Amino acid sequence: MSGFESQPIRCKKSTRRISLQAPGHSKSLAFIRATVADLACQVGFPEDEVAKIEMAVDEACSNVLEHAYAPDKPWYSHRDPELRLEVFTEGGQLIIEIQDHGAQFDFTKYQPPPLEEGIRKLQRGGFGLAIIRKFMDEVQYTSSASAGNTLRLVKYLKNS
Amino acid sequence: MKDFRIEREARGAIQFVRLSGSLDMYSFPRLETQLNALFQQAQYRIILDCADLDYIGSAGLGALIGFAKQAREHQGDVKLLRVPERILKIIELLGFTKVLQVFPDEAAALAAFGSS
Repeated sequence: MSGFESQPIRCKKSTRRISLQAPGHSKSLAFIRATVADLACQVGFPEDEVAKIEMAVDEACSNVLEHAYAPDKPWYSHRDPELRLEVFTEGGQLIIEIQDHGAQFDFTKYQPPPLEEGIRKLQRGGFGLAIIRKFMDEVQYTSSASAGNTLRLVKYLKNS
Repeated sequence: MKDFRIEREARGAIQFVRLSGSLDMYSFPRLETQLNALFQQAQYRIILDCADLDYIGSAGLGALIGFAKQAREHQGDVKLLRVPERILKIIELLGFTKVLQVFPDEAAALAAFGSS
């Protein structure tokens, strides 16, 4: 797997859709954030909402890298870790699908401690999922042996 | 997308750390290394100048509150200076400003250390 992190990010963009494939490395995060934020802005989200979408996507991708692709997890070692994103608009919604082939983790069943409690206790981490839920309107997770894991984040344009 | 950069400058007992670029999962270990080095030198009064920061994620925010806690145990603190409006709105909304002090200008940040 040596050098996978230096492989190029592949990205197809149109005015309303992005298909992105990036190495499963934290170096990819800045490009992913900027690309998703750019589309969110183009489709009409105000700046404050774009900042929330950007952070939710960053947290979701960071979680994949930290947990799904953690070195101690039995993820599919015959493939280099990668992040695949499909970002598009449909029926007044911005939909962001983040796919990985790492260890399964059901975001929807895990209940993190409230954000406020962690902050008040000056915890060093564990805020990611609470932030995703706070900033997005819908969060859905599916997993299968053939397709891997997909986290689907939805933001309603009409509320913004 | 600017590369993440850290510059340090000592002003008496206060350490100024200027951050630029994005503080995310990729870059925050570098900030951790710098702050750990300061703590090892018993430098616990730290002002992070965020004027050129583009982004901060929860990994960075978590690290900052962890360092603030550690600094306060030694009568110091980690204070934020000149946080861009876009980032400030997010960290206020999430509640991080309840535990991290943010100042719009250097004089106010220095005064807060002077009175602590």
